[in-house]
Amino acid sequence: MRLNRLFGFCTSLAFVIAGANTAIAQQPESAPDSRQTIIVNAADEKARSLRPYEVTIAEKVFDRIEKGLSDQAVTWHPFLENAFRGGGFAAGAGYMFHPSAYTSLDVRGSYSIRSYKLGEAEFRSRRLFDRRAELTVLGGWRDATEVGFYGIGMNTSAGDRGNYGFEQPFGSALLTIRPTRRWLMVRGGFEASRWDLKSGQGTAPSLDQIYRPASPASLPGLGTTATYLHTQATAGFDWRPASGYARRGGFYAVTGHDYGDRDNALGFRRVDYEVIQHIPILRESWVVSLHGLAKTTWAKSDQDIPFYLLPSLGGGSNLRGFASHRFSDRHSLLLQAEWRIMANRFFDSAVFYDAGKVAARTSDLDLNHLKSDYGFGVRFHAPMVTVFRVDVARSNEGTQLVFAASPVF
Amino acid sequence: MRTKILATVSLVLFAGAIAELGSPSAASSHFYRDDPIPREPAPQDAGAAAASQLDLMYELSYNLFALPGRKPSGLRAQNLNTIDEVPDSSWFTNRIGTRAVSIDEIVRGPNAGAPPDPSLWVISREKTSGSHPGITARDANGETWFLEFDPPYYPNAATAAPVMATKFFWALGYNQVESFLTTFDPKRMTIDPKATFLRPNGKRTPITRGDIEELLEHAARRPDGTYRVFAGRLVPGRIIGNFRYQGTRPDDPNDLVPHEHRRELRALYVFGAWTNVTDFKAENTLDTILNENGHAIVKHYLQDVGSSFGVCNDIYTWDVSWEHFYQGSTMAKRLASFGFALSPWQTVKYSEGPEIGKFEGDRFDPRKWRGHTPNAAIIEMRDDDAFWAARRVAAFSNDMIRAIVHTGEFSDPAAEKAIADIMIKRRDKIVQTYLPAVNPIIAPRLENNRLSFENAAVTADVAKAPAGYRASWFLFDNTTGESRPLSDTTSVTTAIDAPRGLPTAVDSFIKIEIAADGSEHDAWRRPIHTYFRLASDGWKLVGLERMPDGPAELGARRRAAH
Repeated sequence: MRLNRLFGFCTSLAFVIAGANTAIAQQPESAPDSRQTIIVNAADEKARSLRPYEVTIAEKVFDRIEKGLSDQAVTWHPFLENAFRGGGFAAGAGYMFHPSAYTSLDVRGSYSIRSYKLGEAEFRSRRLFDRRAELTVLGGWRDATEVGFYGIGMNTSAGDRGNYGFEQPFGSALLTIRPTRRWLMVRGGFEASRWDLKSGQGTAPSLDQIYRPASPASLPGLGTTATYLHTQATAGFDWRPASGYARRGGFYAVTGHDYGDRDNALGFRRVDYEVIQHIPILRESWVVSLHGLAKTTWAKSDQDIPFYLLPSLGGGSNLRGFASHRFSDRHSLLLQAEWRIMANRFFDSAVFYDAGKVAARTSDLDLNHLKSDYGFGVRFHAPMVTVFRVDVARSNEGTQLVFAASPVF
Repeated sequence: MRTKILATVSLVLFAGAIAELGSPSAASSHFYRDDPIPREPAPQDAGAAAASQLDLMYELSYNLFALPGRKPSGLRAQNLNTIDEVPDSSWFTNRIGTRAVSIDEIVRGPNAGAPPDPSLWVISREKTSGSHPGITARDANGETWFLEFDPPYYPNAATAAPVMATKFFWALGYNQVESFLTTFDPKRMTIDPKATFLRPNGKRTPITRGDIEELLEHAARRPDGTYRVFAGRLVPGRIIGNFRYQGTRPDDPNDLVPHEHRRELRALYVFGAWTNVTDFKAENTLDTILNENGHAIVKHYLQDVGSSFGVCNDIYTWDVSWEHFYQGSTMAKRLASFGFALSPWQTVKYSEGPEIGKFEGDRFDPRKWRGHTPNAAIIEMRDDDAFWAARRVAAFSNDMIRAIVHTGEFSDPAAEKAIADIMIKRRDKIVQTYLPAVNPIIAPRLENNRLSFENAAVTADVAKAPAGYRASWFLFDNTTGESRPLSDTTSVTTAIDAPRGLPTAVDSFIKIEIAADGSEHDAWRRPIHTYFRLASDGWKLVGLERMPDGPAELGARRRAAH
């Protein structure tokens, strides 16, 4: 469009000027006698066809995209988050509005290729306590149809998979405080939720066909409904530029969880120890990113830990070469290392290695008999957020392809 | 594709038409009595020009993804007078390199008025672009200023950069914003009740003290609680948006030359490389309507040259000035080699110290320097444009450079010295690179039957003198443009005797082609074309063509390097 107009303008002007010259040639008495006159004539000619800048369609499109990206007052937006890990690619939409300058309410939903469904509303207030705290209140409902479970411990095989499903209404509140607005971070929150377990769908047999509910051989929690009040508290240091994308800095935190079952049957506690360290090399063109995460659980007296809330490994954010929830037990250890290579400011590639294990006793959370994978990934990112991540991971159980809209850690 | 061809054709036609305006025709002359013109006239009233803004993302995308694939037209710059110089205009004023510029004058730069009175600042508007913290405010005299603070990681450096850069670019000839270093004391600040911030909910609400406190958290605070700020004066006239580096303003009758063919805009590649101004985008320019000689004209400003001396963006942005934001070739190399194909920015050594940005002179290569993005004018730059620019860079003496850097008011004398040293080193590399790249003969004079001239590269001591010079003499018909050979003369010096038979009638024209023989530089064998008219008081230079239209050698080389 724009080039066409440029062509039009230039051609017209060219012919006008050339025409003027021809006319001048035919009428020698009016030939310009100075350079000044020639330029004045050209300006006079242009003055007859002045017009304002016309914004091209391409410019309008870019303007709209730019506003969509930079303007935080988004309304409709895509929502790609899955209802639960292992649900496959999910697509959805959200509608966000702002009750006040620094608060937002986002109502959103997604549906995955495995029929996982998620509908939720999230309220965020970003500037509490003089910009020292952020509050997130989340409520919604999710339906997961074919969550895999492979048995407890490391000595299971991929063929042991059974599926279960669950529906879960949930509501939570999380308050994150940075008392000094810098590194120190404390977080506390609670969540009320109900887990309604149901038969699994998909190609693997349903868990209730493998384990008979209510029998001694059954799995804790199978065939039951549990209502939890989950409280948690975190203390840590976070000096990454942003959690969504970082090339330097670190995150060191300990989180304690208490899962209180209203029926006093499936209550337990869990402690997570997490370390993330980004080590920039050659002016951040390479980054060695390390991640360690240990989870330990213990049941409350005379209660049990439901199988679906046991720490598990496998999936796109931890042991990427294994299926989601591939290994489950009371305790887990995950170690990840990525060598991230900056291709340009908005695109990274990465070579990674993941290793981890689950164990029945904390003393077994050592570096022996770790399950591992390796792979290669690419990431499109903005300065503070990972927009799209594709990882290809290889393990002794095959190759997994991961698509995600978040960093691995 | 069709559109592209049409556009190309139209450009050629346009260029041809303009050339025809100044070329011999049946009834007009090749050279006119007022050639060479010292000033580009702006005869028409441009008061109807309306505000317009080029979308930033569109411009970045176009410059990064469309321009690198575009073949430079190879056209000679179109806004030159007949002696290959850029006349003064609403874009450009010849200063250094064309007239004597004193150190006092260069240190004053664009500053014509008094500095701001910082005893009271009234916040009037938020800052909407740029990476460093800033705000718009009125001083105690009620005058509006754009204030920029130093981020904590570049104390003094970020505010010094635009102060120094405006002086360099003013001396180079560009319209610059008046700029000062001053103080912002939060205790001597009020907020205009009408001043608003755009909030995340998309609404504007009044600016609060909390907003200013938050802004100041990202600024370098002095021990006494005040802040050093760069203050840029609001430019006079009615602001009508930005200028683009391509095409002309369709609403300005005086804007006749496509901007990519304006030499002073092409030359920004050289000046940008020298000062490390990496961000030549439309958003950093400003067009204003001013009244001049009784009618409105559009004046074009390089409004923001603060992304300079290596302090743009943050301290972790290392590739600035070495690569465009996106550069397919280097990205592919890094991807294929897992990052082992190192780029210079990964290992180049920078001076230590917070007052010095990522700025160095040892590995600086004028031809490999890269801004954030290319632009259409930079893509079109030819070696004769670069030569013109390099002569201006060469005109800055060491003392001038040190005097300008001193205006940055660095707290560490070592930082000031280091920046000046780097500028000197980069100046020398630019001169070394571009002066010998074309036939560097300048200032031809024909007096007492003797042609004399200078060799800019030899004078600058960046090239050895050739074994000799050759002049081919022609009688020149100013009406038809035809040349008739007279003879050739040679000399081992920069003075060559004229042959016998030169015309003696007033208003006669001769053409002299001057080349160097026996030089290590092939380009010197390509003659420059000079034209003289016999006036009543002797021969006057009326024409000089250093590189008549031809392939855009430099542009092509630079594209190949992408």
